[in-house]
Amino acid sequence: MSKRKEQSHRVKVVLQRLREKMNRQMAGSLVACVHCGMCTDSCHYVLANPDDPTYAPAYKADKIRKLFKRHLDWTGRVFPWWVKAEGIYSDEDLEELKDTVFGKCTNCRRCSLNCPMGVDMATFNRMARGLLVSVGIMPEGVAVVSKDQWEIGNQMGVLKEDYLETLEWMSEELRDELGDPQFTIPVDRTDCEIVYAINPREVKYDPRTIADAAKIFYLTGENWTMPSDCWDMTNFGLFSGDDELGGAVARRLYEKVIELRGKKLVMSECGHGYRSTRCEAPNWAQFDVPFEMESSVITMLRYISEGRIRVDKTRNTEPVTFHDSCNNARSCGMFEEPRELLKLVVTDFREMYPNRAENFCCTGGGGAMSMSEYTPRRLKSARIKAEQLRATGAKIVATSCHNCVDGLTDLIRHYELDMEVTQLVNLVANAVIVEKKVAVPAAGPPKPAPLAGKTILVADDEPDQVAWLSTLFADHGAKVVEACDGDQALELARTHKPDLLTLDLAMPGKSAGEVFELIRREPQLADLKVCVISGRPELRKTIYDRSVKPPEGYLDKPVTEERVLRSVRKVLELAHDDGK
Amino acid sequence: MSDLLHFAEHRLQEMALAFMFLVYTVRIIWLLRFRAARERQAPTGAPDTSVSSAVLHSWANIAMPWAMESTRKKFFLYLQFVVFHLGVAAAIILSFIIPYGPGLLEHRWVVRLIQGITAAACVVGVMRLARRVANPHMRAISSPDDYFSLGLLVVWLFFAVLAAPNDTSREGPLLAFFLLTAFFLVYVPFSKISHYLYYPFTRYYLGKTLGHRGVYPVRRRPRAV
Ligand code: SF4
Ligand code: SF4
Repeated sequence: MSKRKEQSHRVKVVLQRLREKMNRQMAGSLVACVHCGMCTDSCHYVLANPDDPTYAPAYKADKIRKLFKRHLDWTGRVFPWWVKAEGIYSDEDLEELKDTVFGKCTNCRRCSLNCPMGVDMATFNRMARGLLVSVGIMPEGVAVVSKDQWEIGNQMGVLKEDYLETLEWMSEELRDELGDPQFTIPVDRTDCEIVYAINPREVKYDPRTIADAAKIFYLTGENWTMPSDCWDMTNFGLFSGDDELGGAVARRLYEKVIELRGKKLVMSECGHGYRSTRCEAPNWAQFDVPFEMESSVITMLRYISEGRIRVDKTRNTEPVTFHDSCNNARSCGMFEEPRELLKLVVTDFREMYPNRAENFCCTGGGGAMSMSEYTPRRLKSARIKAEQLRATGAKIVATSCHNCVDGLTDLIRHYELDMEVTQLVNLVANAVIVEKKVAVPAAGPPKPAPLAGKTILVADDEPDQVAWLSTLFADHGAKVVEACDGDQALELARTHKPDLLTLDLAMPGKSAGEVFELIRREPQLADLKVCVISGRPELRKTIYDRSVKPPEGYLDKPVTEERVLRSVRKVLELAHDDGK
Repeated sequence: MSDLLHFAEHRLQEMALAFMFLVYTVRIIWLLRFRAARERQAPTGAPDTSVSSAVLHSWANIAMPWAMESTRKKFFLYLQFVVFHLGVAAAIILSFIIPYGPGLLEHRWVVRLIQGITAAACVVGVMRLARRVANPHMRAISSPDDYFSLGLLVVWLFFAVLAAPNDTSREGPLLAFFLLTAFFLVYVPFSKISHYLYYPFTRYYLGKTLGHRGVYPVRRRPRAV
């Protein structure tokens, strides 16, 4: 008699959770697939890997379905082999499932909308992720981000002081731009019309979006505020499938808005954040939200249509296309508003095909940007998106999602497209007409160059990039030292004792991570500030996972002069010195 | 008519039907025992979308090949689907006409109509089987049940073509048709063929979810090319 296979402890827990998590809608999706294959070509992974049937949505779904059929569906117990009902036993089986549910699907829901039977693959794929997460089986990046969101309260581990300091820094930038020395981004004001919550990526890598939104609120005379804590509107629970995390994260934000007695929660442009906070999290948290919630896209559109701000679209003349985030379009029905808004603020809008609910994923969805082990797969599947983008002939792709910004930036670089990614808020802020209160400056001595007296070490293996950065810094008064690999960077840091090191992450010689850690651990270099300038977001973890103080700045390539200077001045704490 | 054929057309069918209904009832109760998730979010999407219109859209989806990219791009497969399912419906109707309304088959055009539809469906069934075997993506997702169900349906449709004239002087095709019909009635609840039971169910929930989120009814702008 053959011995019954033993299930590992983790497998037992997974199966127990499967029983608890199963609901009627998911059970329907799990029994209804007829293996017709109509969904196959709707998946970007399949289109980019036409010879590999393991990417077919139904094939991936069957990896989850077989468990359901074997353990929860009595018809699958009658003749399991006949209907592909299979049990799982070992932790290796769970690892294999991980590879499918995290590494071969971005939960984009495109197949769900193309299934004649209404099988919602993305929903049960998310559930399967959650089952694995509950027993600690997940990509490392998912574990790190989830931990940050549980413990620090936001996905990127941004500390409260850094967040508040960034708001203050952006306030200073805007004082000059708006000509209002009293301007400040309001924090924790009570009884406001709008409480504005953002994505931590904005604090860490893209503070200009905060300033742009603040500028728009200011110009409308809006009564608004940002919270001092619980300000993260993103929710990694959507990606990890962990409803408990999803519910807890959203509840913090909901309770903060209630505490501030805000009338409406407006969320900055983030597809998964909007979907989580606006749509899914009231269910995860079992919380009946007593206030309105809105995407900032809708808010900006309303401001323009009500005449609260005026815009001049001739300030955005480059051809612009729009990428629909899967979460906004396929899961929240938001596809017309961004188009209406774009047509008001750009002169040359070009539609991308297919679009709206049929658009292809940016390939960075479902938390894919945090799972560096799957980067090659992700970039290969991105060919479909790259072809879509290229066909538009646009120079700018606008999107309403920070995740998509990262995903698109990465694929644009990989496929060498001549394009930049931006968010709608940046285009609106650029087009908005500011009736500036002009303060006539008193005549005085000429201002010194902003980087005068500073030494900057530029470490990058691309000669063009080194030359560009060196010229930029030298033109602004800095003394510049150049290194083309990791070993040289370390050596020059020791000999020249610069004030700032701009560090590329992909260099020959000693890895950037090692160089960074050695610098951090060397007492003589304790004052050296580091600003990472990299085109490889998947390498972020090689820096941030080290148990040393994180870098003072981080910029994603491609960079503009303005972004580099603003960031460098901030890192060198010169941002406030010259009133700029 | 032999006793065996009479039994196959009547008593056997009735027993098989009763069994099928019993298993289906159990199946529906089983499905309904899974909890229905409560929706707490306020609706999103365009103001003119509603859950009821979305559910209707979702149910009608099957008759709207323009509503999904998959059916637009694979229109030939969609046509095959239509023909195949019409053929199955015609064969089911035939299994009721022969025992309970054989007079209808005295009209030559009725026989020809049923034969035409079932024959076309039988050919489509063979094509679908060939696709399932030849296409690596289809092979990868197919279970033994998928091949068996489709293969047997092709055989059943073939016998439906032969049984349609209801010629009791040649009992073989009639007997084969009714024995297969009875087998299907018993087998279907355990196989993929029961998907028609799930269709209203899954599409209701998808319509409800996506309607609440303003995604359904699908709004699509025509392609530029
Ligand atoms: S289209 Fe639907 S029923 Fe057909 S294989 Fe895909 S998930 Fe299954
Ligand atoms: S949800 Fe998206 S990525 Fe996942 S299988 Fe479906 S189409 Fe592919």
